[in-house]
Amino acid sequence: MELRSEGVLVLRKGRFGKYGGQYVNEILMPALIELEEAFNRYYPTPEFQGEFQSLLRDYGGRPTPLYYAKNFSELVGCKVYLKREDLLCGGSHKLNNALGQALLAKKMGKTRLITETAAGQHGLATVMAGNIFGLETEIFMGVKDMERQASNVKRMKLLGAKITPVKSGAGVLKDAVSDTLREWAACSQTTHYLMGSTVGPHPFPTIVATFQSVIGIEIKQQILKKEGRLPDAILACGSGGSNALGAFKPFIGNKDVKLYFVEGGGESLGADNSAAAFQLGKPGVLHGALMQVLQDEHGQIKPSKTRAAGLNYPGRGPEISYLCETGRVNACYTFDKEVFEAVKVMCRTEGLIPALETAHVIAYLLSHREEFGRGEVVILNYSGRGDKDLKAIMRYFYGP
Amino acid sequence: MDLEEKLLELEKRREGIHMPHVYYGDPNKDFTLKLIKTLVENGADLIEFGIPFSDPTADGPTFQAACERALKKGITPAKCIQGIRNLRKNGLETPLIVTTYYNIPYVTGIRAFLKEIKKAGAQAIIVPDLPVEEADTLLDEGKKIGIHLILQVAPTTNKERLKKITDIASGFIYVIGVEGVTGARENLANSTLKLINRVRRYTDVPLLVGFGISKKEHAAAVVSAGANGVVVGSAYAKIYEKNLEKPEETLPEIAQLAKQIKQGCIEGYRQYLMNNR
Repeated sequence: MELRSEGVLVLRKGRFGKYGGQYVNEILMPALIELEEAFNRYYPTPEFQGEFQSLLRDYGGRPTPLYYAKNFSELVGCKVYLKREDLLCGGSHKLNNALGQALLAKKMGKTRLITETAAGQHGLATVMAGNIFGLETEIFMGVKDMERQASNVKRMKLLGAKITPVKSGAGVLKDAVSDTLREWAACSQTTHYLMGSTVGPHPFPTIVATFQSVIGIEIKQQILKKEGRLPDAILACGSGGSNALGAFKPFIGNKDVKLYFVEGGGESLGADNSAAAFQLGKPGVLHGALMQVLQDEHGQIKPSKTRAAGLNYPGRGPEISYLCETGRVNACYTFDKEVFEAVKVMCRTEGLIPALETAHVIAYLLSHREEFGRGEVVILNYSGRGDKDLKAIMRYFYGP
Repeated sequence: MDLEEKLLELEKRREGIHMPHVYYGDPNKDFTLKLIKTLVENGADLIEFGIPFSDPTADGPTFQAACERALKKGITPAKCIQGIRNLRKNGLETPLIVTTYYNIPYVTGIRAFLKEIKKAGAQAIIVPDLPVEEADTLLDEGKKIGIHLILQVAPTTNKERLKKITDIASGFIYVIGVEGVTGARENLANSTLKLINRVRRYTDVPLLVGFGISKKEHAAAVVSAGANGVVVGSAYAKIYEKNLEKPEETLPEIAQLAKQIKQGCIEGYRQYLMNNR
């Protein structure tokens, strides 16, 4: 089987248009080749699918519901459904990919998982999956993120992950990815780098998108059942793009379904206060792939900034970079201030506390109601719950 | 001097090759120029001239810190290339091998970047995040412009890849001695010596071994095992980073280490000739 991204023409292996590729040191090339071969060999087999699907169902809790948010719909004027990835075990969509890759790592005979995390959701999902398969787990996390997502750090510790604080750079996700790649260079023969988003060198973007596309496959079945038709729009937040591509992929060929990718606008689009790489970045090579990335005029990567740790990455994965470049996906953003207000609105209308990342799509819909007509069916990929952000949210509204 | 001429000359002199790796602008431009002068006067045969990058994923803590310091001081690729011009203007004849992560030439445009470094006086380029799979553009443009693309091989490189890489290598091959990142290490791994043997079976192109080489004994061991020379980087940075206020004061210590490494290269070659008589 050739790796093929549904609905997207793959001209060169691991490329989406000009984006993608394998820009890594020679040390890691054999591991990437081995991973691609293993994915092609195991993923299509009934045995792998059986094991994977039953874990998604019995451990993860899939399928996640598609909830008609009636009160919120009345407020914004269109018919809004929430794809409840917050109900997946662990509290976000991250487990879909972690279970898939951990199973693959086990088949490959790896004994250890390493990864990086920002919001802590991917780190949490990785140690959960690692424990299921008896794989040791080490998580690299920026010191700034460890502080602002302290509750997830505790969860990961309790589950037995080794957590390695990353002090280099600004102590955020970009630096944690760099350190995980460095670690992987020292141990790639025994250890799998469980990449958390649709970023990094080929085959990671394709593997992660494939494992996450369960979200969109379910959305399609569920909305057809509830509405008898496809939605008018799907909105998802993102930086690397894993929850967005997961939701979008089965709809790429349905040209009437509008797709919105909402990135972290941060405080403002000026003066390095943002993570909006589609607004402020340009194509460049970071962490193994050519993608849309925040950088200065000399090619030095710029740090991103947003209150949502999980959106705080300067690069957009190769496939989402391509889909936004061709116009199939609309690249948009919201600012931190709107995001916090959106949390409050969701709490009051539907009794749900969204993650700050997820609140970006809610905020976008709230501030762009005019784009969505009455009667239009709009799906928000409700990627995660906000327990991890309680401290930041409370501080924002009620002070320290 | 042309890179291949220089390599031939060293071969005739029966000496192992010593290539120090520096990051330009750490902690400031003037110091790097003095550092290179010191190294060349004390046994450096080639200079690996690093253009600092914000996310040097193949580098360990010492060189990460070096890049960060240089960038904080406002170093840009253009200033680095100006540095090469200055070195040539001051009469430096040692071949210069530019090292940079791929995004730097990518945003400039590969051809434009190679032309600029060639014009400034560089002979070759190393791009640590550019495996052969992605190297076509740089290889083609490099050939036209006259810049060698120095390819790397690693302990994880299998037969098939070794063949592919050695087939298209020019100038020399950079042998990454250990799995991991750059940085001085206390001991030389036995596997490094085995790797040299393994690569040697595929090519006569000179082999320079880097990553973890920090002592005279390391240099002697890898050269006697059949490598043509060594790359030493972090070990030098570790000396001047102890005194970043006045790094010039550490130059005598750096000179001392450079001499020892070169001595190791010479003794290693002698040993190699004896072993292979």
